[in-house]
Amino acid sequence: MTLAEYFSFLPFGKYAFYIWFSYLVTIITIVILFIRTSSIHKKTFLQLRIKYLREK
Amino acid sequence: MWKWIQAFASPQNFYYTAKKIIPWFLYPFIALSLVGLYWGLVIAPVDYQQGESYRIMFIHVPSAWMSMFIYLVLAISGGIGLIWQIKLANVVAKVSAPIGAAFTFLALVTGAVWGKPMWGTWWVWDARLTSELILLFLYLAYMSLNNAFDNPKTASKASSILAIVGLINLPVIHYSVNWWNTLHQGASVSSIEKISQPAIHSDMLIPLVIMGIAFKLLYGALMLMRARDELLIREQNSRWVKGVIMEGEK
Repeated sequence: MTLAEYFSFLPFGKYAFYIWFSYLVTIITIVILFIRTSSIHKKTFLQLRIKYLREK
Repeated sequence: MWKWIQAFASPQNFYYTAKKIIPWFLYPFIALSLVGLYWGLVIAPVDYQQGESYRIMFIHVPSAWMSMFIYLVLAISGGIGLIWQIKLANVVAKVSAPIGAAFTFLALVTGAVWGKPMWGTWWVWDARLTSELILLFLYLAYMSLNNAFDNPKTASKASSILAIVGLINLPVIHYSVNWWNTLHQGASVSSIEKISQPAIHSDMLIPLVIMGIAFKLLYGALMLMRARDELLIREQNSRWVKGVIMEGEK
């Protein structure tokens, strides 16, 4: 049994695996972009705060 | 107009203005994505030739559009930074690169997944696919070059030149389906003539356009969010940045 056949119970039948896989990859990529953006923000603030506190 | 651009391009002004603009990109992106996905996955009819598999188009095509659009933004802002030495332009170019690379990756992956049931293979060394892969390498090269220098000015200069040279790849991607005999289908909605009489049904075209706008808004939001942090790093010796970090944003 191929992956495409295994997931054929989902909406879109024999193409379900291809369609849902594409959408899943897209959602994961977008979530990663947001997580990375948020982590850059936190890192920037933390590094600059440490720098300014050291200068004090 | 020039005065307004100059005022907006000042790092401090941009930092605060971007904060106000971000929600105007983010919330419409969420709303349009939900509408576009519902329309594309539920309302849009089944394609007479490709069956249900064509529904990958609603993320594949907007991702491919974005991969080229962001590269154009990157090269133009890199050029502006190179010629007029506008700091903000270099910041926009730098933060756009990883977002553009992500969209190019998505266009390639979703294209491969669509290709398997339609062409019987995940990948062919077709002109459209190969030129899109070259675009991903251009993004990666731009990011590597930008991170290879300690001095941000030198990094921006070197990477902007690379970005401008890489612009040659955009018309190759766009016209590859016309110039060469490829497996990839031709454009359906790219020219003015085809927009007035598109080759696809309006129930397929509307969600496609909605998703295209949603992805543009997503890029806008992410670019502004990242540009604000990049500005803080580049302007860390300014008094206003110290104020933002130590006293919080006004």
